[in-house]
Order: sequence, then structure tokens, then C-alpha cells
Amino acid sequence: MKIVSAGLLISVAAVYLFLLLPIAIVVLASFNAAEYLSFPPTGLSFRWYSAFLNSPSFTSAFFVSIIVGLVAAAAATLIGTPAAIFYVRFLRRRREEFRLAILAPMLLPEVLTAIALLFFFNQVFIGTQTPLPLILGHIVITLPFVFLTVSSALYNLPVAVEEAARTLGASSWKAFRRVTFPLIKSGIVTGAMFAFIMSFDNVNISLLLKAIGTSTLPIQLFDYLRYDFDPTAAAASTISVGLTMVIVLAIDRIYGLRAVRF
Amino acid sequence: MTQASEIGVRRWLFAVPALSLVCLFVLIPYINIGIMSFRTPSTTAPYGPGFTVTNYVHILSDSLYLSLLAETLLFAIATTAVCLVLAFPVAFHLARTTSRWRGLLYAGVLSPLLTGVVIRCFGWIVLLANNGLVNQALGTFGVGPFQLMYNATGVTIALVHVFLPLMILPLMNAIQSVDPHLEEAARTLGASRMRVFQRVVLPLILPGLQSGVILVFVLAASAYVIPMLLGGGRVQTLPTVMVQQLMGGLLWPFGAALALVFSAAVLASVWAFALLGRRRMRRLA
Repeated sequence: MKIVSAGLLISVAAVYLFLLLPIAIVVLASFNAAEYLSFPPTGLSFRWYSAFLNSPSFTSAFFVSIIVGLVAAAAATLIGTPAAIFYVRFLRRRREEFRLAILAPMLLPEVLTAIALLFFFNQVFIGTQTPLPLILGHIVITLPFVFLTVSSALYNLPVAVEEAARTLGASSWKAFRRVTFPLIKSGIVTGAMFAFIMSFDNVNISLLLKAIGTSTLPIQLFDYLRYDFDPTAAAASTISVGLTMVIVLAIDRIYGLRAVRF
Repeated sequence: MTQASEIGVRRWLFAVPALSLVCLFVLIPYINIGIMSFRTPSTTAPYGPGFTVTNYVHILSDSLYLSLLAETLLFAIATTAVCLVLAFPVAFHLARTTSRWRGLLYAGVLSPLLTGVVIRCFGWIVLLANNGLVNQALGTFGVGPFQLMYNATGVTIALVHVFLPLMILPLMNAIQSVDPHLEEAARTLGASRMRVFQRVVLPLILPGLQSGVILVFVLAASAYVIPMLLGGGRVQTLPTVMVQQLMGGLLWPFGAALALVFSAAVLASVWAFALLGRRRMRRLA
């Protein structure tokens, strides 16, 4: 009995090490003075961070990622929230079909969606000369995350709360604005934050849909790592990991990580 | 009656933006891939006039593409199998633990998922390169260096790492919904641990297990970044070839046909697996 649980704990610890080690290594490499990471590390240095800040290709890619992420998250939230309300509160028939339709961008392989959108935008739309295709692609793939988070927030809210407001004479719009919305606001904010992270990390959609000459941070890293391993990429990665961690902590504070279901 | 239907229409307005987005930018582009795959190839434009089946004939008669397809599916199967083995202990522990570090442990599974794929591949490059940390560590024992990257080993390790959380999370949810008293009852009635797992726990978590397996399999098969970075051009899968064809040359109809053959193969595998699962579930029931 004891032996079994000790064995379980050791294997669990090994899997956690496996999961977190590569990320920790990148963070470590970014603070390492030498070109190559070796153990023990040769010294603490911020030179790769200054290299990052002095590299226009990295900093401009970083800002493109931030802006695309913010726009995509805002749009996905505005579109996904009413869809979640419709699904949880109004829809009675063909619920599974509706859910799958909205989640399709998450369930379909991203590479295929990217290829499909590349053809589509070039054929009937505007080509990939402007940032519009990139942003539209990001809105499409982040929509499911908003939908899932807001739906779960609505499921956790008893219908009775709204009914009480209605019984007390509130119109359905007023009941939503004054009762439902404040109660699911944290769920909506969490959905928006997830959407931002998913956009900020995305490679597949960006690779095929980005306008020529511009680049997002993951694409810049991807191109860089194919030819070069110097720790400037580690500094860029660490900044990106740090940003993600801050958002995850915020989600945990606002909404509780365990309440999030995928 | 008219008022009721008017409310119905107003309610549908909530769904219109999302449904039109998915219709316009998912449904139509996917149908368009299908049409594109029957276009004639052209050397001056992305595709030529008229329709043909030569793209499919080309793929299905060329052993290069068929062996690439087999290799891609093999990567996905290996990744799914390893993920399943590694996910079980963690999912069990996370579902049943009462430790006060539970939130932190959950974040430990979730945060790799929220870290970009490129960054995680970068971590593995630092670890697995010829002069990387693993070979340095082995070197101090006088072993190696081993070629751990730019081959199938490196690609599989990174694939497992990237998709493992997607196996752990559905498994954990499934295990959480199994009442621990059921296991105790079976144990009290004299069943061995193994037997309890086989006859009580496994049938109950099979749906969660199935969704994890399908998710990881599909994502591993269609991974692009991981084979590119850890394979370093020496490992090719169907998605990497597909993207190269589309980005490099103007081979849209051929790329589209390749994408469709690939999707059909992945879907067929998933379907076969789901069928197997259903049969197994029926036998256990």
C-alpha cells in the first residue's frame, strides 16, 4: 500500500519536472552571461535583455503581437459573449450542433484552418497585404475560448437570480444589465484574457496570414530559432512567459483557475 | 404567437455574429479547400482554369506522400501512447489529492499549455542539442554524446511535452467525477487494485480518456512547429511538407488535395478508435 503510493508520487513528480523543466531552462538561459548554457551557469547578466530591446525586429514583433492580441480578444469577447448567453439561456433544440459549430475553430487542426483562410483571403477577399486577414484569423481561433469561459460562468449562475429580478418588475434588458452581467463579468474578463493568451502564442495562423514584412513575436522567434540559438531569443521568450504568468495569476485572482474548464 | 416568434428572432440576434464569423471564415474556407483540390495546376498563377483529379492521382500513386502520411500518423500514435502513460498518474493524483498545494499543481499542468509552442520547443533545443544540457550531464559520466535532436526522438519528446496537458485535463475531470466510495466498495469486496481499476474505474473514465486520446492524436498529427524546430529539416511530416509547398511554390491545388487526403486519414483513424472504444465499452457493460 505504502510502496504503491510512494511510486505514484515519484512518477507524478517526474512528470511535473518534465512539464516545467524546458520552460525553466529558457528563463535560466536568458539570464546566463555566456552564449551557451552550461551547468553551473557562468554568471548572471542582463545583456540578452538589452540585446532584445536593441533589436528592432524583436521589439516591433512584440508590439504587433500585443496589438493583434488586444484587438482579437476584444472582438472575440464582443462576439462570443452573446453567443454563450444564447446557448445557455435561449437555445432549446440542436444544442450540440450549435456548440460544435462555435467550437469548430478550436477542434479543427489549426494548420488546416490557416491554409483554408490563406486560399480564401487571396481568392475572394483582400489578399494578405494588410493586417486584416491576420486579425480575422485570430478572432476566429480565439472565439471558442471566450464562448467556453462565459458559458461556464452562466452555468454557475442560477436562473432563479434573473427570475427574481424579473418578478420584481425589471425588464429583461434591465435584469441582464443589473443582475446577470455583473455576476458573469469576471467570467467574461477571464474569457478575454484567455483569448489574448491564445492569440499572443499563436504560430500557425500568423505564419500563413501575416502581411509581408510584418511579424508577430512567436513568428520572429520561430524564424530566429531555425538558424540561430543565441539567448536574445531566450530573453524574448522569458518576457512572453512572464506576461502569460501575470495574466494567469490575474485569472486565478479574478475567477479561480480551477473553475476554468476546457 | 407573432409576439413569441418576434422574441425568438430577437434571441437569435445574439447568435448571429458568432455564427456568421464561423460560417464565413471556417465553413466556406473549408469547402473552398475541397473545390481548390480539383483545380488544375498552373505555373503562372496559384491555379489554372477548369477541374481535374490529377492532384489526387499524383498523391495516391506516389509512394513518397504515402510513406510521409504513414510516418506522420506513426508520430501521432507514439505521442498519444506516451502521453496516455504519463498522464495517468498525474491525473489520478490531481483528481484525488487534498493537498493544499493543489491549486499550484493544477497551475503546473495548465501553465505549459498557456506557454507558446515555440518557447517550449526552444527549451528542448537547449536541452537536447549535441552540446546541450542533457549531453553535458551525460558527458560528466563519460557517456555520449547522443544525437537527441534533428531526428524522430527529439520530435517525439517535444510532441509529448506540448500535448501532455491536453491528456491530463480531460482524464482528471473524468476521474474527479468517479465516486471514490465505489473503489472502496470494490476493494472491500475483495477485488485487487488492478481489478478495481479494470472493472470499476476504467469503464467510468473511458469517455474522458477517449476525448483526451482523440484531442492529442489529432493535434500531434497536424503539428507543424514542433517537427520544423526539433526536426531541423531532417524530419518531415505531412503538415510541414504541405506548408512548404504552399509557401514556397504556387502549388495551391496540390497542397489542397494533400490537406484533404491528410484530413481523411486522420478522421478515419479517429473513427476507427471511437468504434473500438464503443465495442470495448459494450463488452464491459
